[in-house]
Parts: sequence; C-alpha cells; structure tokens
Amino acid sequence: MNQDTRETGVRPPGDFNPQTEPVLDFPDADYGELSAADYRTLGFMSGLEVHQQLLTRSKLFCRCPAGRRVRKHDGEVLRHMRPTLSEMGEYDGTALMEFKTKKEIVYLLERGSVCTYEMDDTPPFDIDEEAVRIALEIAQLLNLDLVSEFHVMRKQYLDGSIPTGFQRTAMVGLSGVIPFRVPQLGIDRELRIRQLSLEEDACREVSDIGHRITFRTDRLGTPLTETVTEPELLTPVELQAAGLLLSRVAQATGKVRRGPGAARQDVNVSVAGGRRIELKGVDNHRGLPQLVHIEAFRQLNLLRVRAELRRREVTAEMLACPEEGLAWESSPNALDAVAVIGPCDYAPINAALDRGERVIAVRLPGFGGLLNHRTQPGVTFAREFADRVRVIACPVHRPFMIHSDIRDHGLDRRQWRLLSKQLRAESGDAIVVVWAPEEDADTAARELLTRAQEALVGVPAETRQAFRDGTNGFERILPGPDRMYPDTDTPPLPIPDAVVIEIRERLPEPPSSRQSRYEALGLDPVAAWRLAGAPWAKLFDAVAPASGTVARRLATCLEQRIPYHQRAGRLAYLAEPARVAPLIRATEAGETRPEAMERVFDELVERRDAPVEKVLAAYRSTPDDLEELERSVQEVVAGATALAGRPPDAVMRWAMGVVMPRFLGRLDPALVMERVAGTLQAAVSEVGT
Amino acid sequence: MSESDRYKGYRGPCVELMKRFGITVWCEVRARTTRGEFAGLVLPRSETSDENHIVLKLNSGYNIGLRYDTIQSLEKTGYREAHYKIPEKEFPVDPELPRVGLFGTGGTIASRLDYRTGAVIPAFSPGELYGSVPELADICNLETEKLFAVFSENMGPEQYLILAEKVGEAIAQGCAGIVIGHGTDTMHHTASALSFMVQRPPIPIVMVGSQRSSDRPSSDAAQNLINATWAAAHGPIAEVMVCMFGPTSDQYNLLHRGTRVRKMHSSYRSAFRTLGDVPLAMVEKGKITPLKDDFLPRRDDREVTIEAAFEERVTLIFYYPGMHPDVIDALVDRGYRGIVIAGTGLGHVNRKIYPALERARDAGVQMYMTLQTLWGFVQMHVYETGREILGLGVIPLANMLPEVAFIKLGWAMGVHPDDPEAVRELMTTPIAGEITEREPHDGYLIFQGGVPEVQEYLGKVWR
Repeated sequence: MNQDTRETGVRPPGDFNPQTEPVLDFPDADYGELSAADYRTLGFMSGLEVHQQLLTRSKLFCRCPAGRRVRKHDGEVLRHMRPTLSEMGEYDGTALMEFKTKKEIVYLLERGSVCTYEMDDTPPFDIDEEAVRIALEIAQLLNLDLVSEFHVMRKQYLDGSIPTGFQRTAMVGLSGVIPFRVPQLGIDRELRIRQLSLEEDACREVSDIGHRITFRTDRLGTPLTETVTEPELLTPVELQAAGLLLSRVAQATGKVRRGPGAARQDVNVSVAGGRRIELKGVDNHRGLPQLVHIEAFRQLNLLRVRAELRRREVTAEMLACPEEGLAWESSPNALDAVAVIGPCDYAPINAALDRGERVIAVRLPGFGGLLNHRTQPGVTFAREFADRVRVIACPVHRPFMIHSDIRDHGLDRRQWRLLSKQLRAESGDAIVVVWAPEEDADTAARELLTRAQEALVGVPAETRQAFRDGTNGFERILPGPDRMYPDTDTPPLPIPDAVVIEIRERLPEPPSSRQSRYEALGLDPVAAWRLAGAPWAKLFDAVAPASGTVARRLATCLEQRIPYHQRAGRLAYLAEPARVAPLIRATEAGETRPEAMERVFDELVERRDAPVEKVLAAYRSTPDDLEELERSVQEVVAGATALAGRPPDAVMRWAMGVVMPRFLGRLDPALVMERVAGTLQAAVSEVGT
Repeated sequence: MSESDRYKGYRGPCVELMKRFGITVWCEVRARTTRGEFAGLVLPRSETSDENHIVLKLNSGYNIGLRYDTIQSLEKTGYREAHYKIPEKEFPVDPELPRVGLFGTGGTIASRLDYRTGAVIPAFSPGELYGSVPELADICNLETEKLFAVFSENMGPEQYLILAEKVGEAIAQGCAGIVIGHGTDTMHHTASALSFMVQRPPIPIVMVGSQRSSDRPSSDAAQNLINATWAAAHGPIAEVMVCMFGPTSDQYNLLHRGTRVRKMHSSYRSAFRTLGDVPLAMVEKGKITPLKDDFLPRRDDREVTIEAAFEERVTLIFYYPGMHPDVIDALVDRGYRGIVIAGTGLGHVNRKIYPALERARDAGVQMYMTLQTLWGFVQMHVYETGREILGLGVIPLANMLPEVAFIKLGWAMGVHPDDPEAVRELMTTPIAGEITEREPHDGYLIFQGGVPEVQEYLGKVWR
C-alpha cells in the first residue's frame, strides 16, 4: 500500500492480518485435520460478504422484471472499459490490470429481461421501493444502525461484469450484532455485522476466451443486499455457520430469492503474516470450510516462498523491467527464445510459431526450485504465474507456459541450458517460457516479473475465484479504496422514522429467537437450531404443538417426511396447517398415540382429497380397542401354525407386523407386543404338550 | 475559509447544528444519533438537496446522510480537506504531426469527478486531456482554447457568432483541423449555425461531445475525442461535421454533415443520426471511410468566408391540431420577423390560423414551412390545404430540418437585415447541404423491432 492511498483514508480496515509473523513451521494439513486451536496458531481470520438477491417484481434502477433467467438473446453490444483516474490522480491497480487485458466486452441482450438502462444507454430510474423496504427489513433483523438518507454510490468494476463500469450501491445500515448460537459446534456468542448495502447485481459471464469476454445481462440490475461481517470468524466451520445464519436471517423475511445463484458469498481470508484475500462467488455453504482452509495454507506457502527468497537475497530491483519498449528488448531478464532454442520438438510451441506468435523466455533470479513448491492440493507456485498470464495477457491457446523447474517438459535439457546461458541464469534461477502474439507476449513477460516481485511481499492483494474442488485461482487485483464515488444520476433518498418504525412493527421473528423458543418448548438445542432454519418452521408454528413430547415428535416428523414428499413431488412446498393441526390436537389429547404421527402425516399428504377426520379416525383410540386386540391376536396366532418350526423371534416379528398396523395410534406398541408374545407363548406351549 | 465554504451546501437546521458542535465541512466526526453512532468525514452537500441531512463519507468509501434531528452530538476527531485536481501531464509535441485547434464551449467532453463530493470537474487544457486520453498525442499537436463555460442548452446566437469568428482565426493561423467540444443537447443547432456562418472552409471542423461523461469507465468520450481529432487532423472532408458514435457499441464513429444531423435519442450513445441522407463517413481506429462522394475536400489554402450574423427575432413553432391564431398573432405583435413552422404531413396547418398567417404576411413577417415528420419533403401542391397555405405567403423549405431552418432563417436575416427578397432567395438555395435534391432510399431508416427480418439482422450486428 503506498502512502497516497493511505492518506485518502478510505481503504477498508483490516487488510493485513494483525499477526505479522507467519507460522512457517506449521506442517501442511488437509481439511478436517486441524483443531480450532491449530487455526488460532495459524492466525486464521475470515469474514463474509453475503450477496442475497431480493424477491422484487422489478430490478433496482429500472422496471425490467427481476428474476428472469434466459438462455437466448436477440441483440449484442460491444464495449470497452477505460480506467478512470483516481482521486489522487492515479489509476487503481485493478483498473490498470483490467485495461492491460484489452478486453472486448460483449453483452448479450434479451428484450424481455433488459432495457436501455442495463445497456448503459439510459440514466437510472427511481430506486425500487420494494427493494428498499426489504433491505430495511433485513437490516433491522441484523440490528444495524440505519442511515437516515441513502446515497447511491458507484463502485467501479472494470472486468466488464457491469456495462457502466460501476455498480450502483447504497449504504443501508452499519454496526449490528446478532446472537450466534450453534449448539453442535459449541458456538455461543455474538456475530458482529459491519454493514449492509443495497446494490444491483452484475452480469452472468458466458465465456472468456482470449481478448473477448461475453456476458449475459438478464441478472444485471437485480436488487441484492450485501451483508458484511467483521473478520472475526476464526475457524472454517465457524465461517460456514455464520454464512448459514445470515442466509437464515434473510430468508426469515420470506422476501429473498432462493435457488442457484440467488445467494452468493465472497469470503475474506488471511493468516498470520498474510493479508486479506477475497474469494469470490461461492454459491453454497457446503464447500466453504475446505475452500478457506486451502486458502489459508496457500498463503502460508507463499510466505514460505517469501522467506526462502529473502534467504536467497532476491530483491525487487533484480526483477525490474523498464517501461519502454518490448520486455525482451529492454530487460536483461527476458529474451526472444526462438533464436536460442532452435528447432523444437514441443508441439504447442511449434503451433505457436506457426501462428506467428512470439516465444519468450524470462529469467527469475533466485526462483530456482520454488516454482515446484506446493501451494494448494495438486497445485504448485508456478500456477500463480500461469494464472496471471492467463488472466492478463489472455492467451487463446493452451498450454502457453513451461518452466525450468520441470526440465523434462517442453524443451530438452540442451535447450534449457542454452536459454540459461543466454539469459546468464545461474543454478539458483528459474526460467519461464511463454508464447503468445507479440503484444500479449510482452504483457505476459512483464506480468511474470511483476508477480515475481510480489512474491517478495508474500501474499499479493488479490481477488480470487473459488473452484469446485476447493482450490482457487487468480481473478484480479484486489480493488483499491478509490473505486467508490457518488452517483450523480440519483438523488439522495431520505429514510424517515415513520418508514423504519412501520417496518419494525411487522418484522418477522429473527432465527435466534425462534431457536430459543423451540428450546423452551422442549426441543433439544441441536434440533431447535435445525428447526429454526428449516423451511417447515412456519408449518410447525402454525400447528403450534403445546407439549415437549409432541413438539419433539413433530419436529422429527417434519424433518424426515417433508423432504421425502418433496422429492416424490407430492408436496409442492409445505403441507397445509389446517390438515396437520387436527393430528397434533389429537396427539396432545392422547386420542392418537405419537408413534402414529409420521404414518398419519404421510396419509394426509398422500390422500389429499380424503377429509382429515376420515384419515385420522383410523388412528384414534376407541373404547373397543382392547377387545379388538384380543380378537386380532387370537386370529393371528391361529394362523401362525403354518410357521411352526421357524425361530420364535421370526414368528414374533411376523405376528407384530400383522397386528400392530391395525392398532397404530390406538394402542401402546408395548402393550400390543406383550399380548402377542403372551398369546404366542401360550400357543407354543400348547403345541409342545 | 469563508462562511459559505465552511458550511458548503448546508442550510437552515444543519448549519445551526454544525455551529453548535463546532463542525464544518471536511471535519472528521463521530456522530451520536438516535439511530446509532456513525463516524466519517463531513462532505459539502449538493445545493439542490434538502436542508435536513448532513453527508458523511465513511471509511469504506460510502456516503450516507444523517438527519439533523436524529443527531444528539457531533464530536470532531480530525480534519481532512481535499480538493480534487485533474493531473496535468505535458502534452508531447511532435513536429511531424498536424496542428489541431480544440475549442471548448462548456460541455464535459472530458471531465473528472471529485471522488468525494461527486462534482464534475471539466478537463480541458492539453495537459489535462493528455492525462485522460493519452492517445491524442499520437494524432496531432493539440492547442486548446476555452471559449465559454455554458451547458449545451445555454448555447445560443451570441456564442455562435464568437465561435464562427474563432474558427476563422484558427483557419488563418494554419490549423489542420478544428475540434469543438460541445454538450450534446443542442450540438446540431450549433453545427448548423457554423455550417452557414463558416462557408467553404479549407479544413475539417468537427463537433464532438459525449453521451456518457468521461468519469465513467464505459464513457464514449475518449473514443469520440480520438475519432473527432483524427478526422480533424487527417480527414479528407472540409465541412462542419458532428462526430459521434455510430452504433451504441464501441466500434466506430460517424461524421454527420452539420445541416443534416439531429440528436434523436435522449441518452443513447448512438443518438446522432443523419436524416434524409447517409452520413459523410465512418471513422474508426485511424481510418476514415467516406460513405458519400459529394463532400467538400480538404484544401491547402486558408480561404474561408465567415458570415457571422444572427437575427434573434425569429422563431420555430411546432404546429398542433386545433392551434389558435392568437399564437401567431402574439408573435407578430411582439415583433418577430420570421417564423419557421414545423407542419404536419407534407407541410400543413389548420384553416383556423389562416387569418393569422395572412396578418403576419401583411406585417412583413417571413414564414417558412418544414416538417414534423423530419423525413421527407414539404410538398404543398398535393392537397388543397397546401395550396391555400402557399397562397398565404408561406414558403416551403423542401427537406430542410426544422431546427436547421430556424438557424438558417436567423442567420439569413442577420446577414440581410433589410432585404426580405435576399433572405427568401438565400433560404431556398442550399448552401451547406441543408436541402438536398433527392432522398436516397436508405436516407430514411427506422427499423421496427420485433419484425422477424429486423430481429435477424439485429442478431448479426453489434447494436
């Protein structure tokens, strides 16, 4: 961070891990192997930024329908992004990087889902009131301090994901605290929320090939809230639990979108000696813990590389590259490799030469052996370099890079030796060979040297993309603080007390108080936590079980049966409270025994047209139950003679299987079993005599 | 710092509050409010916003407003005054490159935003422009002069006259081309004024603006400026032209003839269109592709006729059904000397106003007919109505655009203040392409979306 940006004072705090000394001797470990104490030793810190789409009719700044997802398009626009000068008269690092990529950005337009606003050909319309109200509702559930006037800001994004080059966003509330209690993880504390803003969603990327990136615009402009926690989540599972809690809070409103892509998380992670890395676009909670675990060790390994480079006395000057001219003409660390290596057996390089591309060798002094250093599972330090070249120089063809730490690949040993000689490389140096069209090859060579310089810093400030396997890859330089400025197209929006109060009075119950309520009802803490976040909690509340026994039974019943019926397509969403309530009342009154609950529930769902009382009648105890049981048992035992000679417990199981269903809900299974057993016993002794 | 600077933009209760707690703009404060505690930097407030809120810039870069009556206390924790300046880099001079004069009228073709307050600061000096659009240095040696600082809608005859004289001077001084930065709203009015006032220039005179201000990463300003400057420095066409986006995509610009161009959309990048003809040329990445061959070519001489004059008592009325004659009477009574009518269809107005037209004619007011349809020719012989109106002394102006006719009439009356016949002669004689003899079939193109073949075409091109 240079002096200038610090002076502006708008860089978000907490970019560097407060623990400055890395724990270099901590052995690499797989996810699942470490305790909370281990993560503490590592200085692991993480925070969440949760992006939650809101369930509104329209988009945030135009009246296009929100939530429409399309696969076709009927028009295209081509744009470029130019970096704009920052407040200090400098270009933001991210901006500059995006400009270096010289991307052609293509937007696919579909008439039903976008208008000229999303194309950036019309100024914004009034902010969507429905979205404002939902954001205020979520903000109050998070106990945030609400601002009294929204100011729409522009947050610059030059990757093309928004055609304007910036995202319109407004601060809603700051500094909230909510209860954070997850019994199964032993978490019982508070979660501090830094802020919640209301913003428009970006485009969906369709493809990114070479210098052309293509986006679909249907999602663009959808209202979403961004909730940012303080970076106080100190283990991977704690992070996951916080993510779940935040999505529960949002869902409590019933006014947020669900389904793929409706809630996406960015995670900020650092370890001792490292700095905040933003992992982008995680759309489920399941993979979160492994993802941040792997990132923690990536940072630790980058810090190990740094320590080794320092030991080898590598300096930034050794890796500098003059700004003028082509890298291989101006820097002693780069050369045009074709003339040196001569004819080559390596097909990718030959193909590049056929295409008229440049093949450039870059010397990285003191990096020998380090490119093979493992940074993530199945990933070495060399990937850090390849990623930069891939993203910034935009090579179309793969592979585009080889390096001297794998000597038997690409070039033969003689060719590597020749390159070493020509580049005056010593044994401790590494050589990277890249190929691309001339201009891109220049960008690539420079980027290799830049990334090598950053290795001396340790963990470069980056936004990284999360992959499905838990690893991550470079996406862009982490944006600086200067990328936020006021939107001159929208007036400030006052948020009067009356509106705040009106929303507060209709606030849904927050998940934490639900959780406490269920515990008070008699559910065990884990079951209470699960139910508080379950989609059927509403049904549970609607039928309002009064006793602990019935409540526990109902919670289990819903947890097991609802997903089953949903899968079977029998239950569009939830069973109707009016159909379920009589069952609960009968159970509470002792008219139907609790064991029958699942069975009756199934029947209520499966026989949609049958009146509830009719379904329930078969499971309601009657005064004649005991007599009927006697008859049944006699009948069954009489039939059991056919099973003579079978093991007694098998006979017993068979008999119960026949008798019990007739009395499910009506009689205590223990009593039924006792009668069946007794009668069977008697019959057996008779046969014996 | 003056009192008004200390509370810049704040009024009423907020100023009172700030005074009570000893706070001014640029103070870092901790605010205790009924809605919680907030910390940030007090920013100046926009004068057009209400008087009830104080604006804070938070550490995160967000701005928020705090209502004065929620604020319980303001504690000053620091002071950070910032004034944003556009970085200036010296514009490199290359003796091999042509000289281009750039006149500024006040439009923000190149501007930067004050990142804290959101105020737009125009970039204009060569150094500032070079800082924003360094590509310009590869095209020409740029000399700039700021003539006015007015928004497009405030440009008018007074400015046209100065601009015309300045263009004349720049030509005499040996510029290879002239670029005029202009707000887009009335750019076509100014373009047509210059087309009449600056006749047969030896060099290109290129007007340019932007539909998205240059503080945006997606701005059209840089491409417009680069292409306009290229057309001025190296282009073959020595006419008054407007250089703006062809499609809304960042692809190429079009050079429109100053008398046939019109802003046709409030906000599209591709808002400017040539009407009733095709544009003069396309400009893209240092290449100019003429689309017509009847343009006036660049010359080496420095000869040009500057006729800078304008009679302001002319007007343009947009006829509507049921118009009452007193609308015309009022104009005549107020001393207007010329009226351009934008009539319906082929050039019609209702019978009701005939007496008023007659009175105007008798009072010596010149009347001209143009079309609301924008495309097509005035043809007043087709229907009886037309013939009657002709009889009232209204002169048809073929396919001259209404705004162009208005500008031309003001100019012609300015040039010939006491010679109605000369004005009539001038009005009906094309001198800068404002009337064309023929309308090519592709001079009128408004595609209708939704129609299958149009959709098919739109699927193939960048919009």
